[in-house]
Amino acid sequence: MPLIYLTDYGVGNLHSVKNALENCGASVETVTDMSKLADAECVVFPGVGAFDSTMERIAPYREEILKHLESGVPALGICIGAQILFDSSEEGKEKGLGLFKGQVIGLEAERLPHMGWNTVESDDPLLNGTPDRDFYFAHSYRGRPDDQTTITGTTEYENWHIPVIFRRFNTYGVQFHPEKSSISGMKVLKNFIKFGEECQ
Amino acid sequence: MLKKRIIPCLDMKNGKVVKGIHFKDLRDVGDPPEMASEYERQGADEVTFLDISASLESRTTMLDVVSRTAKNLFIPLCVGGGIKTAEDMRLALNAGADKVSMNSAAISNPDVITECAERFGKQCVVVAIDAKLNDGRWEVFTHGGTRSTGLDAIEWSQKATDLGAGEILLTSMDADGAKTGYDVPLTAAVADAVSVPVIASGGCGSMEHIYEVLTLTGAAAALAASVFHYREFTVSEVKEYLRDRGVAVR
Repeated sequence: MPLIYLTDYGVGNLHSVKNALENCGASVETVTDMSKLADAECVVFPGVGAFDSTMERIAPYREEILKHLESGVPALGICIGAQILFDSSEEGKEKGLGLFKGQVIGLEAERLPHMGWNTVESDDPLLNGTPDRDFYFAHSYRGRPDDQTTITGTTEYENWHIPVIFRRFNTYGVQFHPEKSSISGMKVLKNFIKFGEECQ
Repeated sequence: MLKKRIIPCLDMKNGKVVKGIHFKDLRDVGDPPEMASEYERQGADEVTFLDISASLESRTTMLDVVSRTAKNLFIPLCVGGGIKTAEDMRLALNAGADKVSMNSAAISNPDVITECAERFGKQCVVVAIDAKLNDGRWEVFTHGGTRSTGLDAIEWSQKATDLGAGEILLTSMDADGAKTGYDVPLTAAVADAVSVPVIASGGCGSMEHIYEVLTLTGAAAALAASVFHYREFTVSEVKEYLRDRGVAVR
């Protein structure tokens, strides 16, 4: 089983993601020295903070981390952790990691944040075996990748189709919070841990 | 499609769950971490902890309860009661809360809403509003409904949202504890006035009450305490009841 490096941006609480991953049987190391991500076996970017504050600590190692993700290391970005995988965001000025070409844009819906449980449409094996397809969301921005084939899951909110699962190489970005999505969310994390094993 | 949320609330004092009738006559009903996990098993969409004593000592106990709860809870946890500053909020989030609600502090110092929203993101900033009908309008009350503020509840909900609140937790002081149903006109008025999700609270006595407030108003969620504590019905029973009547629930 790969050792998961959990990225600590220094702006928020990682306990819930760490706790959930460990509950699913993973070995997790919290990483504050971002240079270590460039040779991680497996990376998780948790979903806390705003775009710029999240990128701040990562920015100096942007190129190395991107190269490592492009080489096929298994990685999972959650919520804002998925958004920083894009080139940039309307929410901030910092450059993102740029694994997904395209921008993060504000949601078009009227009632924001998009908060609560919503159904995800997806054939991605990341969701294999979940008892249902409802996951917990809490966001006002979403990724808009140039390459539509990187979208592997969507949800519907106020008649807008929102892309919520992204995949390129072995990196996943999920806009929902698996660590807050009860049994279905735990299954997604277990699937990711297994996926990380298979990538080794 | 976004699901309507059912949120059991645990009113707490010194780390123990209590439930009051009109915020007085408190009874002790159980251990918070255990109850929260039980609610998750029943299908609760979120759990709220409210420290109703809000003494300094009680708040320290509360943080300990939050961290013990968060270890085994895999749905969102909202914590409120006595949160006054961004630092209070940071401590609650670090203990394992996903959202933090502010009530009187947001009224006496509205800038704290903006400060918290900028620092932690508006999705975790909940402004709790206790409203009571007074002279033909809904007025905001604080301190468990004992202190009037002169603020209009609808105007305050809009201002709080403009300042950065990501959600409004709206409690009707008229309905709270009476178990005669949520305050539908109040909830509808606030939900129409703001563009963030509104959680309806106060007055739940039956599954029908939950159905009413979720279908007759724009509320995104219904919060209830005693009906769940005293097992008058379970969260899963409410979900089934709502699903049978065409309400989208998880």
